[in-house]
Amino acid sequence: MTMDGGTLLHSLNLVYELATLALTTLGLAVVFGLLGVMNMAHGEFVMIGAYSVVAVQQWGLPTIAAFPLAIAVCAALGWVVERWLIRPLYRRPFDTLLATWALAMLMRKVVEAIWGKGFRNVDNALTVAVPIGDTSYPAYRLGLIALAIVLLAALSFWYRRSSAGLRVRAMTGNPMLAQALGIDTQRLASRTFVVGVVFAGAAGVMLAPLIRVEPGIGVDYLLDGFFVLVVGGLGTLGGFAGGVGVIGGSQALVSSIAGQTSGYAVVLIISILFLWLKPDGIFSRR
Amino acid sequence: MDRRQFLQSAAAASALGALPPVFAAGAVKVAVMIPQSGPGGLFGPSCKACAELAADTINARGGLLGQKIELLFADAGLAPAEAAQAALKLWKGSGAAAVIGMHDSAVRGALVNLFKGQVPYFYTPVYEGGECAKGTYINGETPQQQLQPVIPWIAAEHKPKKWYMIGNDYIWGRNTNAAAKGYIEKTGAQVVGDEYLPFTVDNFDASLARIRDSGADAVLVSLVGGASVGFNKAFASFGLAEKALRLGTLIEENTLAGIGLANAKNLYSSAGYFANITTPAATAFAGAYAKRFGPQAPALNGLAESTYEGFLMLEAVAKKAGALSVVKMDAACEGAAYSGPRGAVTMKSRHVEQDVYVADVGDKGFRIVKAFSRVSSGQTCQAAA
Amino acid sequence: MRRLRGRSLWPAAALAAALVALPLVGNDFLAYQVALFLIYGIATQGVALCWGRLGFLPLGHALFFGLGAYLAGGTAKAGVAQPLWWLAFPLALLLPALLAWVVARLVFARRMRSGPYFSLITLAMTMLGFLAAQQWTGLTGGFNGMGDIPEPPGLERFSTLYWLVAAAAVASTAALGVLVGRPLGVLWRAIAQNEERLQLFGYATDRIKANAYALSALLAAGAGALFATHQGIVTPQAMSFVLATEFVIWAAVGGKASPLGALLGAVIVGYASAELRDHFATWEVFVGLLFIAVVRFLPEGLSGLAGMKVLRAARPRLAPVPAPPARAPRQVPALVYDNVRSSQGGVRILDGLSFRLEGPGIRAVIGPNGAGKTSAFNVLTGHLPVIGGRILAGGRDVTGQAAWRVARMGVGRKLQVPSVFAELTVRENLCVALWAGRLNAPAALRNAPHAWHTPLLDEMLGCFPELAASLDEPAGRLSQGHRQALEFVMTVLPEPHLLLLDEPCAGLSPAETHQMIQVIQRAVRRLNAAALLIEHDLAAVAALQGEVYVFHQGRMLAQGSLQAMQADVAVRAVYAGARK
Repeated sequence: MTMDGGTLLHSLNLVYELATLALTTLGLAVVFGLLGVMNMAHGEFVMIGAYSVVAVQQWGLPTIAAFPLAIAVCAALGWVVERWLIRPLYRRPFDTLLATWALAMLMRKVVEAIWGKGFRNVDNALTVAVPIGDTSYPAYRLGLIALAIVLLAALSFWYRRSSAGLRVRAMTGNPMLAQALGIDTQRLASRTFVVGVVFAGAAGVMLAPLIRVEPGIGVDYLLDGFFVLVVGGLGTLGGFAGGVGVIGGSQALVSSIAGQTSGYAVVLIISILFLWLKPDGIFSRR
Repeated sequence: MDRRQFLQSAAAASALGALPPVFAAGAVKVAVMIPQSGPGGLFGPSCKACAELAADTINARGGLLGQKIELLFADAGLAPAEAAQAALKLWKGSGAAAVIGMHDSAVRGALVNLFKGQVPYFYTPVYEGGECAKGTYINGETPQQQLQPVIPWIAAEHKPKKWYMIGNDYIWGRNTNAAAKGYIEKTGAQVVGDEYLPFTVDNFDASLARIRDSGADAVLVSLVGGASVGFNKAFASFGLAEKALRLGTLIEENTLAGIGLANAKNLYSSAGYFANITTPAATAFAGAYAKRFGPQAPALNGLAESTYEGFLMLEAVAKKAGALSVVKMDAACEGAAYSGPRGAVTMKSRHVEQDVYVADVGDKGFRIVKAFSRVSSGQTCQAAA
Repeated sequence: MRRLRGRSLWPAAALAAALVALPLVGNDFLAYQVALFLIYGIATQGVALCWGRLGFLPLGHALFFGLGAYLAGGTAKAGVAQPLWWLAFPLALLLPALLAWVVARLVFARRMRSGPYFSLITLAMTMLGFLAAQQWTGLTGGFNGMGDIPEPPGLERFSTLYWLVAAAAVASTAALGVLVGRPLGVLWRAIAQNEERLQLFGYATDRIKANAYALSALLAAGAGALFATHQGIVTPQAMSFVLATEFVIWAAVGGKASPLGALLGAVIVGYASAELRDHFATWEVFVGLLFIAVVRFLPEGLSGLAGMKVLRAARPRLAPVPAPPARAPRQVPALVYDNVRSSQGGVRILDGLSFRLEGPGIRAVIGPNGAGKTSAFNVLTGHLPVIGGRILAGGRDVTGQAAWRVARMGVGRKLQVPSVFAELTVRENLCVALWAGRLNAPAALRNAPHAWHTPLLDEMLGCFPELAASLDEPAGRLSQGHRQALEFVMTVLPEPHLLLLDEPCAGLSPAETHQMIQVIQRAVRRLNAAALLIEHDLAAVAALQGEVYVFHQGRMLAQGSLQAMQADVAVRAVYAGARK
C-alpha cells in the first residue's frame, strides 16, 4: 500500500463523509435555517426515504421508482404537518420542538407497525469497487459524492438567481414587508417546508444502500443536522458549507487519530462551545 | 392387519396421544423476560414463539416437576430500572417461581441485583462471561466457547497471518476480543489491530481504512446489532471481502438479513445454533416450530432459540434438584444435562458445555461448515452458594 | 397568613393523603412500583419549574439525575466498608446543582434571548455525560452499570423505603407550591413574561435564572440519589437522551405550570405506560397522539384542564408594612454622552451624539421620527451596541453595560410601548417595581414583602385611582391609558434619580395627558430626580416648562428653552422639511 493510495483513500473517505452530512442536513437547513422551525422529525423523513427503497424493492419495482415514492410521501406528509402542526405554532419555538418530537415518535411507530423493528437490507446494483489511482473506492459512493456536489451547486444557483429564490429570501429576511409587497408568505412558507422535508426524504433514498435501515435511525441525523446548523449559522449556504466542514471534518479527523468515541465527543464539545459563545454560527445572515 | 384396522388403531393411538397429559398438581408460573421494545425489540416475537413452544413441549411430557407451566411475559427491552420493575411484578406480584431471561447484560445486572438469589434465574443469550451469582444458570455461549475451537480451525483452513479485531466498546466486545487474542497468537498469527467503537457510530470508513492499511487477512467482528450491519456492508462495498475473511460471534439470521447475502462473502459466524442445522434434533425442532406457528412465523434465530434451551435447562436442573428452590438447584445444577435442538448440553460451573457450529454464507443464507461437540464454556464459578 | 399558607399547600396535602393511602389500599408491591415514578416525578418537577415558571426549557435534565444517581450510589457503596463516606452523600445533590449553576451563569450572562440554544446546550451535555458513563467503566461500571448499591441504613427497599420517597415527593411539591407564592415566585413569573422589563428595574435576571436552574438540578439530583437506593443499580440509561425527553413529555402532559401536575404527569403517564405497554401494542402511538394534542390544544397540560394552576385568588389583605429603604444612590447621577455612535444593520442610528445632563429637573427631548431619541435611551440601557464614543453616568463609564447594572445606578426607564407584566396582577406588577433595590435573598422567600408600601406608592395610587381600583386584575387587561399610568408608577417606585421616559403620553386623551404631565412633575419633584422625557406633543412639552433638547439624524441639533427652540432657524428647517 503506497502512501498515495492511503492518502487518496482517506481523502475520499473525508469527502464522502462531508457529502453525506451535507445531503442529510440540507433539508433541516431549509426548514430550520430559512423558516426557523425546529423540526425534530427531520431524521424520520430521511428514514422514510430509506424505507421507500425497501418498499419499492419489496413490490418488485425498479429501484429508481423509490424517488417519486419518497417525494410523494414526504411532500404529502410535509404539507399536512405544516398546515396543522407547524403553522399554528410559528411563534412558539418550544412548542414546535415538542410537537415535531411527538410527530417523530408517531412516524417511527407507524413504520415499525408496517415493517417491524428489524433491519432491512436494500440491494445495491453498484456494489463494485472502482479502481482510482492506487486504491479502489465503491462506485456508488463516488456517484453519491458527485450527485451531492451537483445538487448543492444547483441549489445555490437557484437560490441566488431565480425569482422564486428571491421571494424566499425576501420572506425570510422580512416577512411582514414581503407580505406587504404581495408575496403570499403563508403559501411560500408551506412550500419551503415541503421542499425541506422532500430533500430529507431524497437523501434517505440515496443513502439507503449504504446505511443500516431500521425505524430508529432518525435521531442521529437530527442531532448531526442541528450541530451543523448551529456551527455554520442559519440561512446562508456559505454557513451551511462551513458547518458541514467543521463538524464533519473534525469528527473525521479526531476519529482517525483517537477513535470514534473521541470523535463524537469532540463534535458535542464544539457544538456546545458554539451554542454558548457564537450561537449565530460562523456565517449568519442575522 | 388390513388397512381399515390400521387406520382405526392409528386413529385411536393419535386420539390417545391428543389427550392432555394429566398433571400431578396445579400450575407453575415461569416469568419470561424478552425484549419487546428498544434495540433488541426485533427479537421479541421470535423469542416469545420459542418460549411458547418450549412450554407446550414440556407440558406435553408431564410439565415441570409434574406441574403445568404457565408463561408470564414482560418487556426486558426497557431501561434496566423499568425492566427490573417488570420482573418484580411477575415475581412478587404474580408469583413466578422461575425466570428465563433473554436480554442484554445491563438488564441482567439489574435483575441479579433484584433477585439476590431468591428465585432461579436462567440467562440464555450469548454474553461476555463472568456471571456467577447465586441462583443464576447460564445457557448462553461465552467468548471462550465460540472461539477456542473455531480460531484454530480457521487458521488451519485459511492460514491467515494477520488478524484485526474490532468490537463495540463495552464489556462483551472487549471480553470477546481479549479471549480471541490468546487463541490467535497460539496459532502463530499476529494481531495487528484491536479497535473499539461506541454504539452510536454509523460511519466505519476510518476503521476500514485502518484495516486495509494493516494488511490484515482476517477480521474478528465483535460488533452488535446495527453496528454489525453497517460495518459488514461497508466492508464488502470497499472490496475488502475478497481480501480478508471475517469471523463474528454474534451474527445471527436477523443481522445477516440486514447485511445482505451479497455482502457476506467469506463471512463466518460461530454460534451454538443456526436455523438450518441439519441434525435430527434441530430439524425436528424447526419442524415443530413451523407446524405450531405456520408459514408467517417470526424467523428462527440463535437468540430466540436460546430461550427454548433455557426452558430445557430449567426442566433438567429442576428434575435433578427435585424442587424449584435455589438452594436445592444450586446444589444439583452441576452436571445437569439434556438433549435439545443444539445437541447435548451439560451444565458445568453454572454455564454449559455445548456444541458449537461454524457457518459461512451461501446463496440461501447460513451454511454449516463445521461442528464442534461438547465445547467447554471456559468459565469457573463455584456452583454451591 | 394562615389561610394563605393553606391555599398554596393544599396540593401537597392532597398528595400526602393519597400517598399514605396507597400502600393501605393497594399493597407494598404497588407502593414500590409507584415509588419509582414518584422519583421520576420529582425530577420532572425540576423541568417544569424552569419551563413552566421561568420560560426556558431544559432538554437535558437527565444529566443531573444521572449524576446524582451515580454519586449517591458510589458514596453509598463506599459507605458499606467505611461509614465516614456517608458524610459525602450530600455531595450527590450539591455537585450537580453547582454544575448547573455554573453552566447557567455562563450561558445566560452572555445573551438574554438564549432560550432554544440553552436547551440544545443542555441536551448536548447530557449526551456527553451518557458517553462518559458508558466509557469510564472503572468509575461507573460502564454498560452494565453500578450495581449492589445498598439501601439507606434502617430502610428496607420493598417496604419502608417507600415512605422516604413519598416524603420527598410531598416535600418538593409543598416547597415548590409555597415558593411560587413568595416574592421569588412572582419574579420568576415576571421573567417568563418580560425579562427585558425586569432587567430595567435592576434585577440581575441571569442570576435569578441560574439560581432557579440550580434548584431544579438539585431536585433532579435528589431524585437520582433516591433512584440509586431504590433500584440498587444505576446504568447509563439514567443519564440518557431518552430519559431527558421523557421528563419533558411528562411535564408537558401533566402540566408544566403546576408542581403537582408535573409529578402526576410522571406517575400517571409513566406508570400507565409500564402497565399498558404490554397490553396494547399501539400504546406508544397513543402517547404520541396525546402529546401532540397537549402541545396543540392544552398548553397547561392535563392539570390545566383540571384547573390545578396555582391559585392566584385574592390574597388576604396583609397589614401594610413600611418597605426598607431603596438601595439606589441618593444623588442625581450626572449623565454625559460623549460623541456616541451606534449603528445596526448598516444604518447609522446615532452619529456623534453629545450632551451633558446635571442636576434635577425635567428636560424634554424632541425631534422628527428617526432622529435617534429612543435609540439614545437604548444605548444607555444596553439595547443597542455602542460602536464609538462613551457614556458616563455619575462619573463612571457605563458604555455597553448590561441593563440591570445601569438600572442599579439609579436609572429608571419607561419604554416607548408600555411594557408591563401582562399576566401578573396590577398589585403584583407594583410589587415587582417596589421590590427593586429593596429585596434581598432572605426577603425574597418570605411573605412580608407582599405587604410593603412606601409613601410614594400611596401618593401615586392616589393620583391614579383607576389603578387602585383594579389592583387584582391582570395587567394585560388594562386599557392603553391605564397601562401607561401603571408603567410610569412602576418606573418611579424604585426611586431612581435619573428617569428616562419615552413618550409617556402616547395614546392618551388630552385630559389624560394633562394628568400624566402633572403626575410626572410631582414625582420628579418628590424624588428630586432628573428626567429626560421624549415627547411629540408640543403642548405637553410646553406644560413641562423645562429645557428642551432637539435631536436630528442621530445628533443633538440644539438645546434651550422651548421658545428658543421654536425660534431657532435650524430647528424650524428640520421640522418644516427644508433642505438639510
